[in-house]
Amino acid sequence: MEISRDAYRAIEDIVGAENISDDPAFLDSYAFQWLAELVRPENSHYMPRPWAVVLPATTEEVQAIHRVCNKYGIKIKPISTGWYHWAAPMKDNEPTIQIDLRRMDKIISIDEKNMVAVVEPYVTCAQLQAEVMKLGLNINIIGAGCSTSIVASASTYFGAGPSSYYMGNNSDNLLGQEWVTPAGDVVLTGSLSSDCGWFCGEGPGPSLRGVTRGNMGSRGGLGTYTKCAIKLAPWHGAAVLEPQGPPPAYRLPIPENTRVYTIGVPSWDAFAETYLNIYDNEIGYIFHRQFNLAGADLAPALWLTYLRPDGTMNDVETASKDPEMQKLADEGRISFQIILQGRSVDEVKLQDKILDAIMAKTGAYKVGRFCEQDFAEFTHMYLQRLGHKHCNFIWVGGYMGSWMQAGIPDFVKNYSPVAIDGFYRDQKQSDGLVQCGGDALMGCGSSISGGGYFGFEQFVSYDPNDKASVQACVKHMYDAIDDCKANGIPLGKEYIYLMIGWPDEQIWNDFSKAPQTFVLHFQRKIKEHFDPRELGDRNYPWLPKGMGQPNFITQS
Amino acid sequence: MDKKNKLIAIVGAANVLDDPKTLEAWSQDESFVPARRPWFVVRPQNLEQVQALVQWANETHTPLVPVSSGAPHFHGDTVPSVPEAVIVDLSGMNKIIKIDRRNRMVYVEPGVTYAELAPALAAEGLRISTPLKPRPNKSVMASLLERNPTQIPRLNFSLPEPLRALGVVWGTGDVAFTGDAGSGPLSLEAQWQKNLAQIDPKGPNATDLMRLMTGAQGTMGIAAWASVRCELLPSARSYHFLPAEKLESLVDFCHQLERVRLGDEVFVLNAAQAARLFAASPDEIGSLQEALPQWMVVVGISGAAFYPEERVAVQEKDLQIMAQKFSLSLLPSLPGVTHAQVSQALYGCSQENYWKLAPKGGNQELFFLTTLDKAPGFVATVQAIAAELKFPINDLGVYIQPQHQGVSQHVEFNLPYNPKCEKEVAKVKAIFEKASAALLADGAYFSRPYGSWAAPVYNRDATAKHVLQVVKNILDPNNVMNPGKLCF
Repeated sequence: MEISRDAYRAIEDIVGAENISDDPAFLDSYAFQWLAELVRPENSHYMPRPWAVVLPATTEEVQAIHRVCNKYGIKIKPISTGWYHWAAPMKDNEPTIQIDLRRMDKIISIDEKNMVAVVEPYVTCAQLQAEVMKLGLNINIIGAGCSTSIVASASTYFGAGPSSYYMGNNSDNLLGQEWVTPAGDVVLTGSLSSDCGWFCGEGPGPSLRGVTRGNMGSRGGLGTYTKCAIKLAPWHGAAVLEPQGPPPAYRLPIPENTRVYTIGVPSWDAFAETYLNIYDNEIGYIFHRQFNLAGADLAPALWLTYLRPDGTMNDVETASKDPEMQKLADEGRISFQIILQGRSVDEVKLQDKILDAIMAKTGAYKVGRFCEQDFAEFTHMYLQRLGHKHCNFIWVGGYMGSWMQAGIPDFVKNYSPVAIDGFYRDQKQSDGLVQCGGDALMGCGSSISGGGYFGFEQFVSYDPNDKASVQACVKHMYDAIDDCKANGIPLGKEYIYLMIGWPDEQIWNDFSKAPQTFVLHFQRKIKEHFDPRELGDRNYPWLPKGMGQPNFITQS
Repeated sequence: MDKKNKLIAIVGAANVLDDPKTLEAWSQDESFVPARRPWFVVRPQNLEQVQALVQWANETHTPLVPVSSGAPHFHGDTVPSVPEAVIVDLSGMNKIIKIDRRNRMVYVEPGVTYAELAPALAAEGLRISTPLKPRPNKSVMASLLERNPTQIPRLNFSLPEPLRALGVVWGTGDVAFTGDAGSGPLSLEAQWQKNLAQIDPKGPNATDLMRLMTGAQGTMGIAAWASVRCELLPSARSYHFLPAEKLESLVDFCHQLERVRLGDEVFVLNAAQAARLFAASPDEIGSLQEALPQWMVVVGISGAAFYPEERVAVQEKDLQIMAQKFSLSLLPSLPGVTHAQVSQALYGCSQENYWKLAPKGGNQELFFLTTLDKAPGFVATVQAIAAELKFPINDLGVYIQPQHQGVSQHVEFNLPYNPKCEKEVAKVKAIFEKASAALLADGAYFSRPYGSWAAPVYNRDATAKHVLQVVKNILDPNNVMNPGKLCF
């Protein structure tokens, strides 16, 4: 579809010539997206090329761009820090403007006493964390790391991280947002809509945030979020994080009011019991299963090599064959990390004592080598800042996170062995997947605020530049779907990834079989009102009228 | 079939009431909202009957007013705003469906009250954070849906906490679950068989349907069950009082207390409100008020699971240090208040004679959300208006309840009056109206805009109002759910 050059000129008039481009070289830098090769024809690394990219600086500019897009029928796809292939335009035949929000990068305010920060979409977790730590406060950094946009995780995507157990999911930490609908209206939520400031995301009356801020958020599919307020959490550590030691394994000293442990358990049953006891006892500041992302068989060899200033990736294979390393792999096979932080030294001592009592009860234990000072300080740095996201790609430059269904401990303990066995099976069948052991499951101690509910993401490492490896990964994704269906488990993250490459009809056919389709019809109607020209993409999903069963009561 | 017979066909003859006395009782509440008589009161017993009622209401364009709690009601939301309404009295749907100790969840129907739930949870070693001394017939679900403040701010990871998922008959007549429950089979039992628990409030999909039910005053649909997160029942407890002559003296301390999440029950009272809360009988209120400090922070501390006594001891030590830092005294008790009275106030329900009505028979609440630093200014505003209109200033009760882990504060004024004295009624009504207008103008956030608050609140933001009306039109296209409330 050809778009009139007038549209380009109109947007240029809004932001200035220096803030819009349709240079193919620039555009392809936006189309080049991680995971694209899993869903695109010929395993291309490129998602559809945007029609143009624009860099607005204000909400008013975003609003004006949306209005021009409505006039000319140009699809809208905002991006702040981006993560995954769905940050790009979705279809080849739909001219889409990529609204790059990087110029909207201001921390607008930090209200120390009331624990509220107001930010624009290109403010990252790392930036805000550095500022609020000076005030004795902290923020929940999502699992995707400290380089991610706070507005994105709070307003429009998942919002969980290692600290959500204590600091809350960013969906709950959201205290108000400024939403430019695809049609170009600016909607304010919560106390902001009553001109009372940014401190409450609910009401007046029913909470409007419920329209878009559900489980996954609208992921750029229903307009642009231009500001949000986020709730801050207590921080009892140093005002400035001062990493020590040689790169790349920077270490963060552990103060007197803090403990950092890797805890192992003998079985998935014991994992669930330990989890529930930690939850009941309300201990912990950060709760996460991090290091298994490298695969249970290889994790100790990788991380202990990483800790050595002279270590290289070439050393890992040899190290992994060391009997002591294999013993450590077994010791930490089912393990997780927990950081205790007390408002006082007495409090952390008590938390420590409680953790000992829990371990005595459930058969859990401290993984000795991982609790030694060097590794504990590395863990402390890793999880307090979440700045090591390059490690996600450490084996061969690409990974795909499968599974990640969240639920209660008894739900997760039941699907984890299925996920592990399936991955191990596919590793044996194909050289295309990194042979790291069957268990590369990692994830937050809680995907919701306060604990009790979590999920594990299986890190399936593959080489994105090797077609055979990419295809092995795709096969594994479909295998994981089959494993879920065979075991009565809801489908996981691989299904959402794959869907990006499917035609609408295939997606709707699947959606129509969902046990409850009410919400998908609700979302269609919302879209009809706030995106009448269908400028947003299917990251805000819906079901066409008449598809799927109406919701009725199951007689039980 | 006429309306009555159709209703009888849905819920049974014994559950359709239209005698004048019943209708009169449902025609008004304790607020200043104008009275209006409903045509029927119906008492459904299960979700299927609720759905049939909503479908019938859509066919006949009959307004439904859902009510879960027993009387007295206070905010006008249970009084029909339009003629020909049917009250849907959900108090008969009062099953505690399940208590899941392992995952600390309870599943309740709308008629389950705080007085019923507390002992059932205690038997399993659990509790939930409650509003301040709720009346015994107060519905747990209704209280949570209306975002009534709860006493333990550190547990408030969000304002609707501990509400997690709902089973809802929407205004369309569809049944759909909210949160993670909205992605599974449309049956709790079927979900439980798959080890799915209804714990994650977000969703389903890109929508947070539960959020659209909160603060809705029954305008979006009728919830037939709710899942609610519980806490362990403490096995060790203590409580403490930090008195002050001025509210301003407590603000910095409270900021710090909430920031570090120290304590369980945390709230601020003035002497008038404290006297009513703690008094064993209405006769004691006057003398107790004279003995109490003008302002106080109440801090409850508890310990559960491993080392409960040590948990209490560590928190007490930290609290002592903090009190010293802010030059506040830490009292183990209040003059004239027994341990039993404090325990009842913090951990129990009101007596049948609701404590807010006990002093004079009538009480007008005025409440909103703000931040703690602004609270003293709002208190001064209301005090000034009360004094100007010759209300006995010592009778003005003030309650400040931190919410959302201390980010927001529920500020509540209580104006007791004799409902049989026209002069007193007129005076309190005048104060209510003048103070509401002044507070709105000064930036108080009326997040739950009942009655006369709704119009000025929604007139502040035409776009947000429009979006809400669009949502309402999708979920209740025939406007049968409690029409006339909010901006509908």
